[in-house]
Amino acid sequence: MSSITRRGSRIWKGAAALVAGALLLTACSSTPPSAGGDDAAAGGEDVKIFMAPKFTGLAYFEVAREGGEQAGEDLGFTFDYIGSDKPDATEQIATLTNAIPQAPSALVVSAIDGDAVAPALKQARQQGIKVVTYDADAAVDARDLFVNQLSYELAAQTMLDAALLNSPEGGQVAFISASPSAPNHTAHVQIMKELIDTDPKYSSFSYIDTVQFAGDDAQKSQDIALNLIQANPDLKVIISSSAVSAPAAQQAIINAGLQGKVFATGFALPSSVKDFIESGASAAFALWDPAELGYVASVAAYQLATGEIKGEEGETIDAGDAGTYTIGKDGEILYDKPLMFTAENIGDYDF
Amino acid sequence: MKQFIRSYAWEGTLVVLIVLAAIWSSTLSPYFLNSVNLLNSAAFFVIFALMAFGLFPIVVQGEIDISLASTLAVGAVLLANLSVAGIPLVAGLLITLLVCALLGAINGILVAVAGLPSLAVTLGTLGAYRGIAYILAGDAGITGLTPEYTQLGSTWVGAVPATVVLALVVAAGFGVLMGFTRFGRASYAIGNSAKASRMGGIAVIRNRVIAYALAGAMSGLAGLVWVSQYQSARGDNADGSILFVITAVVLGGVSIKGGSGRALGVLLSLVLLGTLQTGMKLANVPGTSQTLVVGLLLVASIGLPRAYQLIRARIAAHRPAHARTAALEDATPA
Repeated sequence: MSSITRRGSRIWKGAAALVAGALLLTACSSTPPSAGGDDAAAGGEDVKIFMAPKFTGLAYFEVAREGGEQAGEDLGFTFDYIGSDKPDATEQIATLTNAIPQAPSALVVSAIDGDAVAPALKQARQQGIKVVTYDADAAVDARDLFVNQLSYELAAQTMLDAALLNSPEGGQVAFISASPSAPNHTAHVQIMKELIDTDPKYSSFSYIDTVQFAGDDAQKSQDIALNLIQANPDLKVIISSSAVSAPAAQQAIINAGLQGKVFATGFALPSSVKDFIESGASAAFALWDPAELGYVASVAAYQLATGEIKGEEGETIDAGDAGTYTIGKDGEILYDKPLMFTAENIGDYDF
Repeated sequence: MKQFIRSYAWEGTLVVLIVLAAIWSSTLSPYFLNSVNLLNSAAFFVIFALMAFGLFPIVVQGEIDISLASTLAVGAVLLANLSVAGIPLVAGLLITLLVCALLGAINGILVAVAGLPSLAVTLGTLGAYRGIAYILAGDAGITGLTPEYTQLGSTWVGAVPATVVLALVVAAGFGVLMGFTRFGRASYAIGNSAKASRMGGIAVIRNRVIAYALAGAMSGLAGLVWVSQYQSARGDNADGSILFVITAVVLGGVSIKGGSGRALGVLLSLVLLGTLQTGMKLANVPGTSQTLVVGLLLVASIGLPRAYQLIRARIAAHRPAHARTAALEDATPA
C-alpha cells in the first residue's frame, strides 16, 4: 500500500513539474503576443475600429472588409476584422461580447439577428463604443447609425428591372429568400409582389406566392431552383436577394439545359455571374459596391468616434470620393447606389 | 488513491487542459484575465451547458439527440409569445417546459418504443421542431418581452450572473441524478447493454423516454435563458449549436458508445471549451482557426484514451509482472 502511495505522489510531482514547466514556457513567450494589445490600449487617441460581418469567409463580406481597410488607410485608424466562420447568431453575440473588453472606438456590424445582438451592442454603447450597422440592421436603439445599401423599395425595383432585362416580355416569377427571419429579404419580396400587382411597368409579370428559403446555401439554392423549374413549366424568372442563391439558381438552370428559356437574377457579386453574362445565359444581375458600402460605414464610424458627428438627423458624412451622405430618420444613412451588371459593363468590376 | 486517480483520470486531464488553456488565453489577449469579462463570457455558455447536461443521460444510454437546439427554439419562441400575451412567468415557464418535455418524449418514444435509430429520428425532428419554431415566431421574430421574462439575464448573485448559478445548480443536479439515483444506475446499465438490462429487469423503454423528455425540458429551460439574455426570439434561434453541445458532452469523457461518463466531466469540458473560445475571440483569432482548434480537441479527446489503452495493453503484454503500475506511470505524462 505504501509503495502505491509513494508512486502516486511521484506521479503528481511529475504532473506538477509538467504544469510548472508549461507555465514557465508560456510565461516566457507571453511578451510578443501581448505587446500588440498593450500598444492599442496605451495609445489614448488612436482610433481602433472593428468590423464584424454576419460571418467571415463569404466573398461579399470580404469585399466590404477591403473597403473598411481602405478607410483605415485613408483616415489613419486601426482596422480589425472579427467574427466566426459560422452563420450563427450565438457566434456573433460571442464575438461582440468579447470585442467590448478590447475597447475599440467603434464597431461596424452586419447583424445576423438584429434583436438578439441588440443587448450586446447596447452594452458596447454604454461603454462608449460607437456602433454602426451596415448591410443588415440591428434594433434601432442598439446602434448609432445604419448605413443602408439600398432602400427596400429601390432594391425591389432594381431586381425587377434586372428581371425585365432577362425576360422583356415578362412571365411567371418565383422568389428564393435566405430565411423567414431575414427582414430585408422578406421586405424585398413583399414589395416586389406589390409592384407586380400595381405598377404598370411590371404588370407583364405574375408571381408564385410561396417563397422558398435556401439559407444562403449554394447547394440548397440549386435544389430549390431545380424543383421550381420542374414544378412550374411556365416559370420564366427566379429572383433572389441572396448573393449566394441568385447565381446558384442560374447554375441550376444551365445544368437543366434551360438557359435562354428560364432566367435567374437578383443580387450577386459580379465575379460570380461573369461567366453567365458573358456566355449570354443571363442578361443582367444587380448589386451595389460592397467595398464602397464598407468604406462609407467605416468612415461614419470613424467620424462618430472622433466626435466629428454625433449621429443626429440632418448631419452629413463626407466620405471623399465615395460621396457625401445625410443622416436621415432613426439614424439611417441611405447609400442607394444600385449597380446593374450587363454584358456591356461586367468586365469593369473586379469583386 | 490509485483507484481515485484511475477513475478520475479524464477529469484530471481536463483540469490540466483548462489551466493550460487559461495560460494560453492570457498570453493571447491582455483582456482575458479580467473577472468581469470572464463572468460575462461564462454567461454566454449557459445555454449550451443546459442542453449539454440534458443530452448527457441520453448519450450515457448509448443514444443521441441532435434535435435539442430546435427544441430550444420552440421553447424560446413559445416563451416570447406567452410573454407578449401577458401570461405570468411561472405559468409561461411551466407550459414551455411541458411542451419541450413532450417534444423530447416524442423522440424518446420513437427511439425506445418504435425501435428506430436515434440519429435518424432526431435528424427528422431537428427539422420538424425548427419548422414549428418558425411558425410560432412568424417572419419577423418576437420582441417587446415583459421585464419579468428577461429578468434572469440581468440578475447577478454577487458578481456572478444568475444564469451561471443556474447552470451550476443544473450541473450538480445531474451529478446527483446520474450518480446516486435508480435512473442514473439504469442509464449506465442500458448504455453498457440494453439487452442485458432488459433481462435484468430494468425498464429500458421508460428510462429512455424519461431521458429524452428531460433533455427536452432542459432545452426549454435553455430557451428561457435565451429570451432573458437576448430579449427576443426567432425561429432560427441557436440553429447550428448542437455540434458544440455534442462536442462538450463527448469531450467531457462521456463515451459516445454509452455506458460511461460523469456530470463533472461535462462541466469541466464546458469550462475548457469556454476558456478556449473566449481567449481566441478576445484575441480576434480568425473564425476558421477557432473551428480548427475545437475540432482537433474533439478528435484528441476520443483518440487519447484509445492511445492510452493501446499503450497499456502493449506494456502489459511485454511486462506481465509490473503491468498495471508501470502502465499507469508511463501513461500519465501523456
